[in-house]
Formats: sequence, structure tokens, C-alpha cells
Amino acid sequence: DVIGVRLAGSCVDTQKPKTNPFVSISDEPETLYKRVSLLVKGHDKAVLDSYEYFAVLAAQELGISIEKVHNPPKKIERLTLLKSVHIYKKHRVQYEMRTHYMCLELKYLTSSTAAVYLEYVQRNLPEGVAMEVKKTKIEKIPEHIKQPVWDTLPQVEETEVKS
Amino acid sequence: MVMAVAAGRWAALSQAAAAPRLRAAALSSAVPAVSGREGQPREASTRRRGRTPQFVRSQAPPRTERMAVDQDWTSVYPTAAAFKPASVPLPIRMGYPVKRGVPPSKEGNLELIKIPNFLHLTPPAIKKHCAALKDFCTEWPSALDSDEKCEQHFPIETETTDYVSAGTSIRNPKARVVTLRVKLSKLNLDEHAKKKLIKLVGERYCKDTDILTITTDRCPLRRQNYDYGIHLLTVLYHESWKTEMWESEKSEEDMEEYIWENSRSQKNALDTLLRIKASENVSNVTEEELLASDLVNDYRNSVIALKNEGETENNMSRYKESVKKLLNVKA
Repeated sequence: DVIGVRLAGSCVDTQKPKTNPFVSISDEPETLYKRVSLLVKGHDKAVLDSYEYFAVLAAQELGISIEKVHNPPKKIERLTLLKSVHIYKKHRVQYEMRTHYMCLELKYLTSSTAAVYLEYVQRNLPEGVAMEVKKTKIEKIPEHIKQPVWDTLPQVEETEVKS
Repeated sequence: MVMAVAAGRWAALSQAAAAPRLRAAALSSAVPAVSGREGQPREASTRRRGRTPQFVRSQAPPRTERMAVDQDWTSVYPTAAAFKPASVPLPIRMGYPVKRGVPPSKEGNLELIKIPNFLHLTPPAIKKHCAALKDFCTEWPSALDSDEKCEQHFPIETETTDYVSAGTSIRNPKARVVTLRVKLSKLNLDEHAKKKLIKLVGERYCKDTDILTITTDRCPLRRQNYDYGIHLLTVLYHESWKTEMWESEKSEEDMEEYIWENSRSQKNALDTLLRIKASENVSNVTEEELLASDLVNDYRNSVIALKNEGETENNMSRYKESVKKLLNVKA
């Protein structure tokens, strides 16, 4: 029977998970982020499109669930200035600044995953592009709000308070 | 004669030995349509033609010619770098074309160098980076897979914003704003405490979603603002549980919803019914009996519905029916 025979000399990697020497695990509990929303602003739409492809692929590779990717409408800021240094009020020149937006909403991240993803994505932010990150952290009600304080304190002799 | 020929030859020699600028000048004068710009390169080439190529750099073939199709691109562009036309084996053209021409090629193209390129972030490069970063990520707890479960176990939501932009300073004063949101149904409050809290908080409470929103930005640091927000929540909670002496003077105008007991509507209804009974000479019916009767109950419910929910078709018809029954008016 060939099936049950183990080939001599073959090394089987049994319980030996590769531990990354750079990873350190701490005891404090992770903060949970229900939603992390990235708003990327730039002057060039092509740059933002490439960045969107990069950010979406990075999120998929790291196992982060993407809720929505959308492009809010662009904002154009226009100004009209005098064309000449002195007089000639009737001749003006107009400039405009276009800001394109790209919004990426991610769901359900832990603090370590969020830190890793945001640092990766922010280090590769192209020049001339700005980003705003809105993080929504969820947490339990703190201990001191579960009950009014005077219910939990031990019974103390009440002194007469002058009203 | 010989002198003239010699002079002519000398003139010719001097012309040739002297700067070809004379020849260029002659050429330009001969062809007046040629602009000054085209004259310069011709001058350099003509200058070099007679000289040894001391300063002519040997043009090495660009790296692209030695690149295999299946090479490892991540080693060509490992980090963000400017566009190098000799390192990118793509025939890219960029720029506005001249009339009846094509966009300029990649050699010496400033437009290609100016724009940020993503040559260091090709899909295989991203996959490599993410594979290395995956060890540092942790998994989301699988028990919290929906928004309702998150809300049930973790009712308080804290929203903070970070800003990244290029500039002289990395700080942004808007980054210290902290917004706390909590649903009042998750807090341990009784009826009186909830009404008092809503009165204390005013605009920050939304009735439709039952969410209290506290936005703090009065402290200079984000952590301080978060602590202040939690402190505000604690103070509001404890104040709403306390009952002050002057709260007993709460009048009808302060009530959030309509209460029928001890209101004008109840007095009027009872008054009317007593007078009806008196006119019919029925034995004295007490107020408690009247209050407990179905007619009055019906009337009470319809009035409460009208006042609290507003005027809808349903409520108005209910009120009509109850009044008709009360006054024994047959339609």
C-alpha cells in the first residue's frame, strides 16, 4: 500500500507558525472603529482615480470591508482680479481653483488594523493631495454612568443641609 | 590679377576660418523666413563638424532596451520617484500637440515629470506590501457583524477627525473637535430623569432618532475634549436623577406631552356630564364613576391622541365619534 507510507526524508512542517519578530502583542483591549471615512481632496481627477484604485486594492488585500466609494461633486473657487498693475479697471483676468473629492468609507476596523491601513495609505499620498479621516469609535457606557453615584456610595449619616 | 585672386582666396579663407556665424548670417540673409531659433542648432552642429568630439557624451542606450517583459517591476520603482523616461519602457506621449502634430514624446517631457506617478504602486507591489503588513492587523470580533449588535453592546460613539495635508505645519486646529453620540434608551434613566435631561440638553437631542449629540472643542487637545465630553455626560446624568424643590411647581406649559388628568378638558367634560345628569334628574352620579365609564375614557383617549400626535384624519374622526357618544347626539 503506497497510500499510507510516508516518504522518507520529507520534512513536514507541523505546529510551527512563523512568528514575525517585529510583531508585539500588548494586553490592552483594542478600541473598535465602527466606521472610518477617508475624504481625499486634490486638483487633478486622474491622480485621485489612481489613488482610489490603490486604496481600494490595499483595503481588499488587508481584509477590510469597504462600505462605499463615491465621488462627491467638485468645487470650483473662482476669483476675478485686475489684469494690470495700475488702472485699466475694465480689463480683468479670472482664475479658478478646482477641488475634486473622493470618499472611501470602511466598516468595522480594530485600532491596529486602522493604524496599519491609515499609515500605509497616508505614506503613499501623492504630492498635492490632502486627506481628512473621520473615525467613529464605539465603546461601552463608562462605569460611573451605569447608576447615580449616590446609590453606590455606602450609607453615610446625612447631615442637615440648609436650603 | 594674381593679387586679386589671392585677395579673393584670402577673403574666402578668412570667411571659412572665421566664425560660421558669417555663414549663418549669410544663410539667414539668403533665407529670410528662417527664424533665429533655428539658426542656433545649425550653428552648433556646424561648429562641431570641424572639431574633435571632446565634449560629446557617448549616448548609452536607455535601460528600457535591456528590460525583459517579465521583469520584476517592483525593483525598478521600489519607492515614489520622478518619471525617468529611460527607465519606463512605455511609449507615452503627453502634452498639447502643435498644429497638425502629435503630443510630445516622453524624452525631456516636463509634464510627465511634474505629475505624481503611481509607478511604485502597481498591483503586484501593493499585494507585496499588504502581505508584509497583514501580520500587524487584527481581526474584527465576529460576534459584532451588524450595526444593531454594535449599538447594543457598545452604545457610545465617539467621532474624531484627522487632517493630512502638505504645508509648513502638520497641525490642524480642527483636529481637536470631538463628537459624542449616545442613545438615551441605553442609559439607565427613569421617566422624570429622561424628561429633565432632554430639557437640560435642548437642541442637542434629536427626538426622531433618540440620539443625544455632544460636540466639544473648548479644550486645546483632543484627549482633553474627549474627557470633557464624558464629564458632561456624567454631570447631565446625575443632575437629571436629582429632583429639585422647585420642580414641583412645573406647570401645564412646561409639560412635554399632554396629560388629561387635571386638565381643562377633563373639568369641562365632567361638568357637562354632571349637568346633563342633573337635568335628567338622575340620582347623584359621582365623579369617579363618570371617570371610569367608557364614554369618558373614549373621549380622553381621542383628546390625548389629538394633542400629542397632531391632527390626522383618523384622530379627528375618533374625536367626532367620542363627542357624539358623550353628548348622545345622533347624527
